[in-house]
Amino acid sequence: MSTWARPSPIAWLVAPAALLFVLFFILPFGVMAAMSLFSGNPANNPNAFLTTRHYERFLFDTAGIYHDALWSTMRIGLITTIVALLIGYPLAHWMARMQSRLGHALVLMAVIAPMLTGIVVRTFAWMTILQDKGVINTLLIQWGLTDKPLPLMYNEFGTVVALVHIYVPFMVLTLTGVIGRIDERLEQAARSLGAGRLRAFVEVTLPLSLPGILAGSLLVFALSISAYVTPSLMGGTNVLTLPMLIAQQVGTSFNPNFAGALGVILLLVSLVIVVAYNRILARLSGEQGMA
Amino acid sequence: MSGATNKRPFDAGHAAYLALNILLLVFLLAPIAIVLIFALNPTPFISFPPVGVSLRWFEKFFASDEFMNALWLSLWVASVVLALSVLIGGACALALVRGCLPGRTFLTAFFMSPLMLPAILTGLALFQAYLLVGIGRPVWGLILAHTLVAVPYVIRTTLAVLHNFDRRIEEAAAVLGASPARVFFEVTLPLIRPGVFAGGVFAFIVSFDQFPVSLFLVVPKGETLPVVLFNYMKFDLDGAIAAASMVSILLALSVVLVLERLIGLKAYVKL
Repeated sequence: MSTWARPSPIAWLVAPAALLFVLFFILPFGVMAAMSLFSGNPANNPNAFLTTRHYERFLFDTAGIYHDALWSTMRIGLITTIVALLIGYPLAHWMARMQSRLGHALVLMAVIAPMLTGIVVRTFAWMTILQDKGVINTLLIQWGLTDKPLPLMYNEFGTVVALVHIYVPFMVLTLTGVIGRIDERLEQAARSLGAGRLRAFVEVTLPLSLPGILAGSLLVFALSISAYVTPSLMGGTNVLTLPMLIAQQVGTSFNPNFAGALGVILLLVSLVIVVAYNRILARLSGEQGMA
Repeated sequence: MSGATNKRPFDAGHAAYLALNILLLVFLLAPIAIVLIFALNPTPFISFPPVGVSLRWFEKFFASDEFMNALWLSLWVASVVLALSVLIGGACALALVRGCLPGRTFLTAFFMSPLMLPAILTGLALFQAYLLVGIGRPVWGLILAHTLVAVPYVIRTTLAVLHNFDRRIEEAAAVLGASPARVFFEVTLPLIRPGVFAGGVFAFIVSFDQFPVSLFLVVPKGETLPVVLFNYMKFDLDGAIAAASMVSILLALSVVLVLERLIGLKAYVKL
């Protein structure tokens, strides 16, 4: 890096990506923010005027549905992240520490396979498992463990189960990379100095994998608060999240301006989380660099 | 935790660790196996346990114009997205690492941001922009939207390879008399290719399975497979969905296997 003071000709290779991102990312988000401040589409409706009424509608929320939607979006996102971490960490650790190349490849395939089956397909799978006549309820009734089907679906429980399944591979892959880079000899040294296996893990491997935990959690949280398919199919009419509200406004109410306002709100929430996590992440890697 | 430090014949802690992980693998894979069971089960509605084996749902899927049009559209869009994002993302990653650009950290974060921001918002924002410009919802608009969310994957996997890159190999080539162009094409490019291709696999899958970005950008009768499946599932939960799911799983898997033959599966974990 220090050998060249000025951008080299290779820097021009950034141009196609920059063009794509300006035209299809920055400008559209600008348009969305602008649309959220208009009463209609200013391009074909000359009577469209500037207004803050879409934000007022969300903020004052006379019926209470918008605040509830925001809160349940955050709650579902948080629970999904925690469960995905609890499930993802053991798998990632196992994979990162596996000696056998074949075993590693097989586990990796098992983790990637669900990623290859889109969210719609995986949500369908969970519907067949958790619905009233689904796999689990049929078996429970057959074995006489329950008389009537348990409410496993059309609620937040079913939504979270399916979301965890959908996003846990992202957690595993992020964590495997980080745990794999931790020198195994550090843990071995701790053990040869008398630490038990659990203590060596808790005091050596776990703290060193913290950046991976944060990065994976950030990813899973960001993905699950923006999920639309899973909450709308698994939650039915009992779950309403912000992305579902947005789709309603575009699809059935055809109010793209209010959808834009809801979009800006979801965007701000995500930005706050992303910035906060990035800061923690940067501080952690800074500390590691100094150590 | 590792087998090497553990020479005792039976170890309850290690056994519990293994049992837990195998249980978690079952959690990951069982739903996919169940989809296969339902795809082969001939009853008109999803019911458990299965009563037999038939291919009627696969026949229904392949005989349906709606599903077939959607499948071909999805495949076509995903292939174009793969090509575009490999070129754009690969070039971008190279520029980020080698271009000595000012504000490199910021730029890298910026190019990753479509992964951080809700995908449904990217779709909504593009929908609003297309609405404002009045271009309707063309297929190229959908393709570029998918490319936007696929490029970060290619950038990320390529950056990972570039960071592990031993630049002394390039220096050695240069010292031995290779021109900068020759160093690039004969040393740099082959070494970063696994990263770029791994990103390409992600790009294909991200596009083929894309739902949130597509939701507002597809037109009636011009819907991609995930959107068609979603709309179908809202009214019908029969084996046709399971058959369609199996077909899309097998297609995605074959893409991965082909690329795995080319580049090796290890490249995936270098996220």
